[in-house]
Amino acid sequence: MSLKKIEQVKKDKGFKIFDLIIYGVIALTVAVLFIVIFTTRNTDPLTGIKVYVNSELVFEYEFDVTASADDGIKSAIVQAEEESGIIKVTVTDGGEKNVFEIDKKKKTVKMVEANCKGKQCLYFPVMNDNSDFIYCSPHRVRIEPFINRDDGLIIM
Amino acid sequence: MKHFKRLFLVLACFTLILCAGCKTETAYYFYTNVPSDGFEIADKNFVLGGIIEGYTPPEVEYPEEDVSNYTTMGYRFTAMLTDINLNVSYDFSKEGEKSRFSEFCRKIVDEMKRFDNAISTAVTYSDINKFNTAAAGDTVEITRTGYEILEIAKNLYSETEGYYNPALYYNIQAYGFGAAQAYPEKLSDLPNDEDVAKYTDLANHFEDLKTECREVENANGNTEKRFYVTKPAYTVEVGGETLSMKIDLGGIGKGYAVDRAEEIFDEYGYNYGYFNFGFSSMMFKSFVNGGSYTVAFKNPRTLANDYYFTTPVRNTKLSTSGDNNQFYIIDGTRYCHIIDPTTGKPVQTGIMSVSVVGGSAAEDDAYTTAIMAMGKEKAQEFIKDKLSDRKVVFTCE
Repeated sequence: MSLKKIEQVKKDKGFKIFDLIIYGVIALTVAVLFIVIFTTRNTDPLTGIKVYVNSELVFEYEFDVTASADDGIKSAIVQAEEESGIIKVTVTDGGEKNVFEIDKKKKTVKMVEANCKGKQCLYFPVMNDNSDFIYCSPHRVRIEPFINRDDGLIIM
Repeated sequence: MKHFKRLFLVLACFTLILCAGCKTETAYYFYTNVPSDGFEIADKNFVLGGIIEGYTPPEVEYPEEDVSNYTTMGYRFTAMLTDINLNVSYDFSKEGEKSRFSEFCRKIVDEMKRFDNAISTAVTYSDINKFNTAAAGDTVEITRTGYEILEIAKNLYSETEGYYNPALYYNIQAYGFGAAQAYPEKLSDLPNDEDVAKYTDLANHFEDLKTECREVENANGNTEKRFYVTKPAYTVEVGGETLSMKIDLGGIGKGYAVDRAEEIFDEYGYNYGYFNFGFSSMMFKSFVNGGSYTVAFKNPRTLANDYYFTTPVRNTKLSTSGDNNQFYIIDGTRYCHIIDPTTGKPVQTGIMSVSVVGGSAAEDDAYTTAIMAMGKEKAQEFIKDKLSDRKVVFTCE
């Protein structure tokens, strides 16, 4: 770098007005996203779950409502067995397998076994409120809260 | 000239963007006897084809209860291979009410299992299987439930001029529905016209089916009622096999179960809530937050929960039939599980779905099936003449 160029850089201001505008917009976006995400979260206790594979509903369960785990099975790829208040649900789609457990007493759900690459779904936090979810990206298995909105609208 | 070329290019780009942005949606039509102030159109792809005259709303008394302490409890289970869901709003904070609700749920489950045992084709010793496996002309003893459902079926066969026909059993199987559950994949897999005509001929002898209630003396010397059904003697020959009549009452059976569920709601004094038997039959009491439920009918041509028509419902029952639940498409033609008794083939009348609100759910189940087969013109006449006390809506392509 020439001496002339160094002198020119030294004379320049640290921040030009246009830079400040961009930094301001970024900071504002981060703040708005933070507020939106943390103030609109539905942190009500988990009332149930719906499980989708490739966007198709394969299992649903509502605590205190679904008579037995078998009643929640919507597809032949799902098997459920209950022991000591824990429902173990196995989703086997071809060679892809995910196993998650529903704790009826604690009203929580967690993924306990998967043969996917990376096994990131096993590290998702235990679902215990209506803002939680578990997603297995390689197997396209999505567990999301079952939120029963009793607004009187019945879709047939 | 240079500017003109640029202008032309810009205009061409705009036109392309506009064309890409515009979705070419198909317009569907719906016909209803609900006056225009009694419903809302929720999907712009649906156009009101016409209002059918003659609807007279029935007079219904609604409960007057203090609902300020009411909370809602639900129960979900499976019977007749169908999801059943019930919701009750009541003051469950009162002592013993939660256990009374559990008792209520058990009673509902028991009733549904009883129906399953009476009319399911999957239950070996059900009334329907006893009938289906009997020889032509034989008489078999059935339960009171089976008898009552058969009586309703006979009346509805007559009232709909055969458009509701529970004896189209072989047609349903031949097209891969019902117990067969194996959808054809190409035209050559479909049944031939000659066989279909014979199946239909057999089904059209449903009016020859006889039911009977006899009073007999039991071992204790008391008189009790026993119920019987006699199979028509008519048979047909298909593929070297002699076939006698078989029936499937699954459709109105679910409606009958919904009617019975309403009686159990009343027995327990539950005036707020609803009960649904799959998505084909429902019973509504009052809605705790506002009196009426809003029922929204789904667009039968999308998988999403897009609905085209909403209307308030309260203290009533509802049934829906459509060609979108069990179907397959071969060479662009849709084949669904509802059979047209005039052709013996899956309905292709252009009617996509039918919903009936009011009256008994068992009857509504039969009406919706019959209207699917009637076609647009006949359906409008039938609704005007016979269903003026019910809300009806049907959709057409």
